[in-house]
Amino acid sequence: MIRWAHHALRGLRAHDSLLGRLGLAWLLLLVVVALCAPLAGYPVGADVDLSQASQGMSGRHPLGTDHLGRDTFARLALACRAFTGPGLLAGLVALTAVPTGALAGMHGGWVAHLTRYVAGVVASVPRFVLVLLLLTIYGNTPTVLGLAIGLAYVPELAEAVRARVEGLRVADFVLASRAHGVPEGRLLWLHLVLGATNQLVARHLIRVFAFTVVVESTLAYLGGFGVQEPQPSWGNLLVFEWGRGLGPQVIAPAAALLITLAACAAAAGFVGGRRHAG
Amino acid sequence: MPDSVVLRGLTIEVGDRRLVDEVGLQVHSGQVVGLVGSSGSGKTLTARALLGLVDLEPGVVRADLRVQWEGQRFHPYEGRPRTRRERAKAFASLRGDVLGYLPQDAPRTLDPLSTVAAQLARVARLGRAPDRALGAWLQAGGFTPTHAEEVLPLYPHELSGGMGQRVAIALALARGSRFLIVDEPTTGLDAPVQHRLLQHLRALAHDGLGVVVVTHDLRWLGEVADAVVVLDQGRRVEALTSEALTSGEADSGAARRLLDAVRRLQSPGFPS
Amino acid sequence: MTRVVVTRGAWAALTLLGAVGFSFALVVWAPGDPIDLLPNADAVRPTLEARWRLDQSPLQRMASWWRLLLAGDLGTSLSYRPGAPVWEVIRQPVVATGLRVLAALAVAITTGSVLALRTGGQRRSRTRLLVQLASLAPLFLLAHGAVAVLNEGAFALMQAGWMGRPGWFALPDQASLLRSSLAIGLLAVGSSSLHEVHAEIEHAVAHLQESPFVDAARARGEATWPLLLRHLLPTACSVAASRVGWLLGGSVVVEKLLLLPGAGAVLWNAALLRDYEVVLGLTLVAATAVVVARLLADLARVWLDPRLRASA
Repeated sequence: MIRWAHHALRGLRAHDSLLGRLGLAWLLLLVVVALCAPLAGYPVGADVDLSQASQGMSGRHPLGTDHLGRDTFARLALACRAFTGPGLLAGLVALTAVPTGALAGMHGGWVAHLTRYVAGVVASVPRFVLVLLLLTIYGNTPTVLGLAIGLAYVPELAEAVRARVEGLRVADFVLASRAHGVPEGRLLWLHLVLGATNQLVARHLIRVFAFTVVVESTLAYLGGFGVQEPQPSWGNLLVFEWGRGLGPQVIAPAAALLITLAACAAAAGFVGGRRHAG
Repeated sequence: MPDSVVLRGLTIEVGDRRLVDEVGLQVHSGQVVGLVGSSGSGKTLTARALLGLVDLEPGVVRADLRVQWEGQRFHPYEGRPRTRRERAKAFASLRGDVLGYLPQDAPRTLDPLSTVAAQLARVARLGRAPDRALGAWLQAGGFTPTHAEEVLPLYPHELSGGMGQRVAIALALARGSRFLIVDEPTTGLDAPVQHRLLQHLRALAHDGLGVVVVTHDLRWLGEVADAVVVLDQGRRVEALTSEALTSGEADSGAARRLLDAVRRLQSPGFPS
Repeated sequence: MTRVVVTRGAWAALTLLGAVGFSFALVVWAPGDPIDLLPNADAVRPTLEARWRLDQSPLQRMASWWRLLLAGDLGTSLSYRPGAPVWEVIRQPVVATGLRVLAALAVAITTGSVLALRTGGQRRSRTRLLVQLASLAPLFLLAHGAVAVLNEGAFALMQAGWMGRPGWFALPDQASLLRSSLAIGLLAVGSSSLHEVHAEIEHAVAHLQESPFVDAARARGEATWPLLLRHLLPTACSVAASRVGWLLGGSVVVEKLLLLPGAGAVLWNAALLRDYEVVLGLTLVAATAVVVARLLADLARVWLDPRLRASA
């Protein structure tokens, strides 16, 4: 188990890039904030204070207040919860694609065809539409959101893993080791598969997280699905101050979104190697 | 004044390696000049440098190239072009009209998405005889009349290696360049076809073209070439006349090695 | 060629059937009482219980849905426009959105190709970076920004007396030209379509620039871009098909924000009202669009390349 983790980490450190590391650090920070922010005891829902409405940046309110007097910084931090939960859940769901894809790649034949078919079926429904469909049927909860996003990314990840493992299967060194009579021990295969796929799996997981951030904030912005007032989300922080100028109340959530998505892009590149490198 | 291409002092450096060192050659219309040497001697680079097609990044190409054509003079390397675009601009009036290029592995230079006829028509339109029948160009490239008609509607992937070679030659001729720089035209062809091809180049020279043939195969060059420049490791080591080729005498070790190899191949008992 | 059309067509049809079954299954196997979630539950309960036969097993319900679908019946709207057949509800919006998506595709492909041809082959291009940055932002953020800028600008112009109240402050049901164009532009950029197109085509161009036939054309003094364009068509087709899904998803955001009538707006509003029939109907239309786009792109790739045509 430890050896596998070590193997996986060694593959992840493939590309040295400052931006990539910064990106990963930012994402980690978001998760930490999501876990710790609620502990600060900010009274969500009971924080309206019209005497403090629309303040600028100050010591007491580092990012000012919105037009109901609610502190922007606190709500910005609390909003991290809205997407980290679903994001991590979506990642877990997407991971189920890995053994499926690996099996299909190793076995070939009808298993591969079936996997390709099922992946094609699920991928036919546009991701956002699938998410909306599931939220409509199964209810508007973070769990459903996480499951829906994970499901939406299963086809892509399964296909990527299948293609990589299939390439591995016919790789020269595998054929050579077979010729030398090395038995296809399960452990050897697991080692090879994990080693070959951990970069691309990591890259996809970050993409899943980025998509969760986008979908969650979009739903909150459009209103009706996703996080509802008074729970904060970067999306509804933005829409709430619509038409009230360009203060920190508007810039902060927008910046947070852009930085997070840029961090995801950088981290994905860092962790996953170059795009077209197979 | 006959048209001429005079190259002096061609130097190609990548980093601190000199791939080509102060190489020069000249060809006049009506001449066939051979450019020979073992692999890695810089022949292809020199040939491409005549057209400004050396795109080494990073790399520096320095040369003094003087082209005289129909009373006009061209000095394409004078402005020291450094990027592909700059070279394209500098060589714009030369490429195609004056200097033609038949690269190595010619069949691969055909557009895989167009038929032979379509490609020939496109190129012939740019040349000096745009109304000539396409089949005639193919014949000039070495096809028989009936075979030429059969080949016209085909796509490049349907052609054999030799056929592709001949189509490429037809394209080069249809372009109507005054000088033709041909790189390893005999690779992959069987001996009698190779011979015919080189005779063909001689005939072209007779018609007024100037031809530079790059090859590592000296067997027929003696009958065909007026002069041969020998390269070894990027340097010009000798210029042989056709008598030297037939007599087998040379000054430089490189040239002697080449001639030796040719003699061994041509000795009885070895299939030719 | 016919063989390829038949095999790929069959695979596409099978995939579509699978997508339909998949969507039906998601709805049918949902736990709980689906009628309860409807806002007008009490009003429609009697008709729905009869129509949906909730007393039957899920498989039987799926079978009856399949039967209805094959007969051309996409269901009846429950809460969005109660009683109206789904097909009537979605027909015009689907066309409107479809046209917008096609336009956005065209914009993305042409702009992406032009940009890529200008910078293709260079390893680090500022254009690629700019396009990447622009597509990082979520679509709603881009739209929000664009609308805010437009509003502020228009307001300032009106205050300065340079123009009267502009026509595009029109009612939501009238899609003004400006709002539609803005929607198309935002769709092309915000759904990462422009970025993907640019990246794919740039990669293809870089590869093509080094190929022997482009080199030979260059040696003949020909302009290389017509040759490059012809060789880029297959890539353009593939990447266009892969963007259809994203564009459809993006339409929901863009139509809601810019107050444009379309399938995206209908989907959103029907989803808010828990109108499964309409949402399901639109899901099926979306899946069909994606599958058909993929099929067309596949066939186009084979048709455009004589080598693939020969082996087909």
